[in-house]
Amino acid sequence: MDQNNSLPPYAQGLASPQGAMTPGIPIFSPMMPYGTGLTPQPIQNTNSLSILEEQQRQQQQQQQQQQQQQQQQQQQQQQQQQQQSTSQQATQGPSGQTPQLFHSQTLTTAPLPGTTPLYPSPMTPMTPITPATPASESSGIVPQLQNIVSTVNLGCKLDLKTIALRARNAEYNPKRFAAVIMRIREPRTTALIFSSGKMVCTGAKSEEQSRLAARKYARVVQKLGFPAKFLDFKIQNMVGSCDVKFPIRLEGLVLTHQQFSSYEPELFPGLIYRMIKPRIVLLIFVSGKVVLTGAKVRAEIYEAFENIYPILKGFRKTT
Amino acid sequence: MAYQLYRNTTLGNSLQESLDELIQSQQITPQLALQVLLQFDKAINAALAQRVRNRVNFRGSLNTYRFCDNVWTFVLNDVEFREVTELIKVDKVKIVACDGKSLKYFSSFFFFLTCFISTIYPMASVLLNSYTF
Repeated sequence: MDQNNSLPPYAQGLASPQGAMTPGIPIFSPMMPYGTGLTPQPIQNTNSLSILEEQQRQQQQQQQQQQQQQQQQQQQQQQQQQQQSTSQQATQGPSGQTPQLFHSQTLTTAPLPGTTPLYPSPMTPMTPITPATPASESSGIVPQLQNIVSTVNLGCKLDLKTIALRARNAEYNPKRFAAVIMRIREPRTTALIFSSGKMVCTGAKSEEQSRLAARKYARVVQKLGFPAKFLDFKIQNMVGSCDVKFPIRLEGLVLTHQQFSSYEPELFPGLIYRMIKPRIVLLIFVSGKVVLTGAKVRAEIYEAFENIYPILKGFRKTT
Repeated sequence: MAYQLYRNTTLGNSLQESLDELIQSQQITPQLALQVLLQFDKAINAALAQRVRNRVNFRGSLNTYRFCDNVWTFVLNDVEFREVTELIKVDKVKIVACDGKSLKYFSSFFFFLTCFISTIYPMASVLLNSYTF
């Protein structure tokens, strides 16, 4: 399902059709186009410490329902499209809809072309797996990307000594490390160039900058006379950071989320939270600063932060 | 054995030119000239290591750097050389630095500097002291 394309930009990091073992608070807005899958879902009560149990229950239920419902939906979508193409109603009338249990993970109807109802249809009941509370607002904080690591294959063997002697801003110490370390100023990045032709580019602040920087390094190598290509550019890791602006009780967090957290203040002052979905590692500090790493795409960073924010709010230090 | 780094200095170049003249006029053999240059290498390295004591600080912005074969090459811009007594400003400096510690004969880092002074002043190469690390 590629419903995410129709999402407004602020919600694009949030849609996660697969369900989560971690709490998810999607944005609820009356302007949300109907049928995108982000219409009000059963909202987990974020302040409850039994979140984990609720999530696990939900997940099991959802998985069972998902399989049944996906088949139903496809049939229903076809029916509804035929019915509603004749009636040009702005709001979804009851005639066109087959009431069904609203499932938090999957669509109930396909979006109608051209009709964007102001409010989600009252005919689609929310199935409260947990008591439906008004959706929490989004945190309003967007993690900033700090570092992107990417790799690319230049597709030809390289003579590192030639590169080190002729290129500017290059270091080559084969006794210590078998690669040329080259840097450029714009975008400010560092590249490790290996004799196999493979290259690692680090230090960029955005995906596009990382790609641009990798291309600049490839051009440097090409100008030195090697038949460099630009094969298999892939972003391997993205690091983001943000500040929740309140202190956090790490000790409490590790007690309740012990299967995800590890906190050894004598070793490292930050709590290491290994989120399962998305697979992101977060370093959470007492000051309220959070570092997120391990992402392959930007959306994973945003999603992970939206997942962790309500948990952190629950462990806000009050003194 | 000793670094041949200092042959391309004012002193080293003068020596080489003189030797070339003597070879031209058949007064010495090329082999002897080569031996002279090797002795010059030893002498200059020893002299800088043992007989030079003063200290100069310099500061500038880095244009490029290179590290290959254990030799650092830097190009700095807008450099100020500061000694207690005086101050020299230069537009461009190329620094070639060889490792001192790895050779058991030497115990200091040797610097070899070529200053490209702005057009107001004549071109000159300046040989600065070695720092002991």
